[in-house]
Amino acid sequence: MEVGVYWGCMILTSQYAYEVSLRTVLPELGVSIVDIAEVSCCGTPIKNVNQKAAIYLALRNLALAEKTGVEDLLVPCNGCYLSFSEAIHHWTKDDNLRTEINNLLMEEGLKFNGNIKLWHTIDFLHDKIGIEKIKTAVKKLLNDLKFVSHPGCHILRPSTIVNVDNPEKPEKLDNLLRVLGAECVDYPEKLDCCGAGLLLSHSETALTIAGLKLKAIKNLAVDGLVVSCPSCKIMFGAKQEAIGTIVGEKFEIPVLYYTQLLGLALGLEEKNLGLELNQSPIEKILEKIS
Amino acid sequence: MTIVDLMSEAKMNVELRSKAIKKGEYELYNCFQCMRCTSGCTSMKLLELKPHQIVIMVKLGLIDELITSGIIWTCAMCLKCTERCPQDASPSELIIALRNLAFDLEANVPEVYLKVVSAILDTGLIQEEQKVTSRDFEVYDREQLNLPKISRPGEVFKNNLLMLLTPEED
Ligand code: SF4
Ligand code: SF4
Repeated sequence: MEVGVYWGCMILTSQYAYEVSLRTVLPELGVSIVDIAEVSCCGTPIKNVNQKAAIYLALRNLALAEKTGVEDLLVPCNGCYLSFSEAIHHWTKDDNLRTEINNLLMEEGLKFNGNIKLWHTIDFLHDKIGIEKIKTAVKKLLNDLKFVSHPGCHILRPSTIVNVDNPEKPEKLDNLLRVLGAECVDYPEKLDCCGAGLLLSHSETALTIAGLKLKAIKNLAVDGLVVSCPSCKIMFGAKQEAIGTIVGEKFEIPVLYYTQLLGLALGLEEKNLGLELNQSPIEKILEKIS
Repeated sequence: MTIVDLMSEAKMNVELRSKAIKKGEYELYNCFQCMRCTSGCTSMKLLELKPHQIVIMVKLGLIDELITSGIIWTCAMCLKCTERCPQDASPSELIIALRNLAFDLEANVPEVYLKVVSAILDTGLIQEEQKVTSRDFEVYDREQLNLPKISRPGEVFKNNLLMLLTPEED
């Protein structure tokens, strides 16, 4: 199976572990990745200043994806996934907007036809590849490990536009963890936001928002927190120490991309999963697995 | 007759209200102030953002206050309000419309948002490729991780984006 991947700014410019692990894991599951040339930012940050410009960015990227001939597009970042879904929503129902954007796209010989199917990592693995296929591919069960998941906001809400999972009771990421042999517990703060949307303008508040969630997770005494969005990963992983200082708490919570754990369960080498790049103390998990 | 907020002397601005409402899609006038949005708002606890108040202020036409106060930039964009609103008033979409209006009118837009916009105009992406440090303090870039070179958009993209960001005359 061929799938186009739109990585997005965060992954391309800093969250390399997500890209490395996806590039390693997907071929093992029979998926080959098609990269898309000349793409830009997805439009999310532009939406704050001009929504139409954001829609242009999104549709241009989608048109470039369609041009490669792939039928499925994997969008591993939650923010990009929402931006594209919203743009398609407006493109479908607003005739004037459609004409205006089509004209702009034409200047580059591009056209968006609306035929491409969007996937996020979670539903791509859960529904497109399928739990059963993952189950048979697992070589090393992650027994003895207990996780909580953080699916993130923008693949769940608004559910009129995105529907990767149930907006109030998401379970797919948990199912994906369980199929690797790990235990996964539900917790009341599961839907709480990571705060990344405020990181640029109100950084201390953003870190406090993430800190409240990390406090709750610390009390659960689990082995780690599993994410599948680069922004959430930055907040809970890279910023974990800074968050601890702000909320007056010492955190040692391993934070991993789901695709990294999947790679470990598929028996793949650590160095091909970007595990050395995780800033949180994941050694505890690696020891338990080996 | 016009509405004047006696606390702040703020006046209703019908023209700006119709601009704000035109920009998005939401059933603003269906809001019955149930406060379900505010009860689950991520930014309420720490920044005192109350989305139901934003909705009623827009209904009252107190747009100048909203776009100059800074409050619209305290939203974390978790989208819980829009998901849970029983009346499809979409507070988060309304906040986006107000942010857009603030940008058009060169009102109070935090500097960082403008910086990101100019980075996208310059490079196509929100930031330059970063070098990252591993847990054992090795420094890596994309090449060292065997990741392909980033392919970027060209001039047509930049010109079109710039054109779209320039406020329309009306
Ligand atoms: S915006 Fe929706 S949730 Fe908020 S007060 Fe109005 S009706 Fe209730
Ligand atoms: S989107 Fe903004 S206003 Fe709505 S609940 Fe989240 S933080 Fe509050």
